[in-house]
Amino acid sequence: MVRMAGETKLSHTAAMILQALGAGHVYGLSVMEMTGLPSGTVYPAMRRLERDGLIRSQWESPSIADAGKRPARKYYRLTRTGKATLEASQKRYPLLAKLAAAAEAAER
Amino acid sequence: MKILRRAMLRAAARLVPSRERAEWLAEWSAELWYAQESCAVDADRFCLGAFQDALCLRRQRSGEERRTSPWLASPARCLLLLAGLDAIAWLAVLPIPRSPGPIPLRAILLLMGMACPILLATTRLSLGDCPASRYAPSLATRMRRWLFLAAKIALIMAGMYAGLLLAASLGEQTRPAAALVYALLFGSVLALRWALRDQRRRCPVCLRLLTNPVTVGQRASWFLEWNCTELICLRGHGVLYIPENPTNWFGAQLWMYLDSSWRGF
Repeated sequence: MVRMAGETKLSHTAAMILQALGAGHVYGLSVMEMTGLPSGTVYPAMRRLERDGLIRSQWESPSIADAGKRPARKYYRLTRTGKATLEASQKRYPLLAKLAAAAEAAER
Repeated sequence: MKILRRAMLRAAARLVPSRERAEWLAEWSAELWYAQESCAVDADRFCLGAFQDALCLRRQRSGEERRTSPWLASPARCLLLLAGLDAIAWLAVLPIPRSPGPIPLRAILLLMGMACPILLATTRLSLGDCPASRYAPSLATRMRRWLFLAAKIALIMAGMYAGLLLAASLGEQTRPAAALVYALLFGSVLALRWALRDQRRRCPVCLRLLTNPVTVGQRASWFLEWNCTELICLRGHGVLYIPENPTNWFGAQLWMYLDSSWRGF
């Protein structure tokens, strides 16, 4: 991903990850499931997106995780810049929205 | 199997910078728990991805920090370090009995004379462009840059001279002495290359190493746009642009002086 003078250009992979996060898949594992990308691609890409301010991460409250007898997870959300970049990417990659819809349908 | 997967994550965590290791491992361990519960993901392949992530994170952080040793950041400490290395070399060499004969003063000049063509062939001697600016410092301040480079080269030569004395003590025409002279030649080329490279990465005003590298532009657009790494002087003296793909319009690194309003940042 490259940022130049207010314009952010995303690779197709990064756009897919943003699309997945925008569609509500907020965990790395669920992004992998939705995009079909391996963990070795998804996590480094998410770190780069976070470094560039397109997404931000937060740890789930331990009390919620403890209540569910499961480990607390780190979840990711789009920032305002991330949302704007996703919209621009959807124009650049029109199939992106269709991909998300297809993945949703497959899950159901 | 679960133990093996956890061991894989721990092994990958060793690659992560230490200050981020605990959080990184917590995230991957939590996600592994869910991956093992999920049928859609192969947990073993999931763990293998951790190595890729750890390596990427390591590369990303080292690129951001571009490790500048505190000893080398300040010009005085850089010279002190070189002088210290010289002192160690001389302390090691002086007690060794030498065969009577002239001290090879000319040998060091010959060594440097041989190193210079190799240096010319393997690296640029230019310290970069520094266009005239009304924010440029006085001539005396600018001269300090050259004095600093001269001091570094003099200290390198002093170290090499100690090495030549050691070679002389081994006796003429012996194999160890010849091997040592070749090693010194190779070493002097590397040391002079370092001296030039170090000089290019320093602020011409305060002579401190520049920090905070940022990539500007993209490789694919180098033909029409800038594609360079930008470094800044933390004291606000200026910004250095280093081209990623040198071209005929942007071939050498470019230093831009900043006005005094930047000093406060």
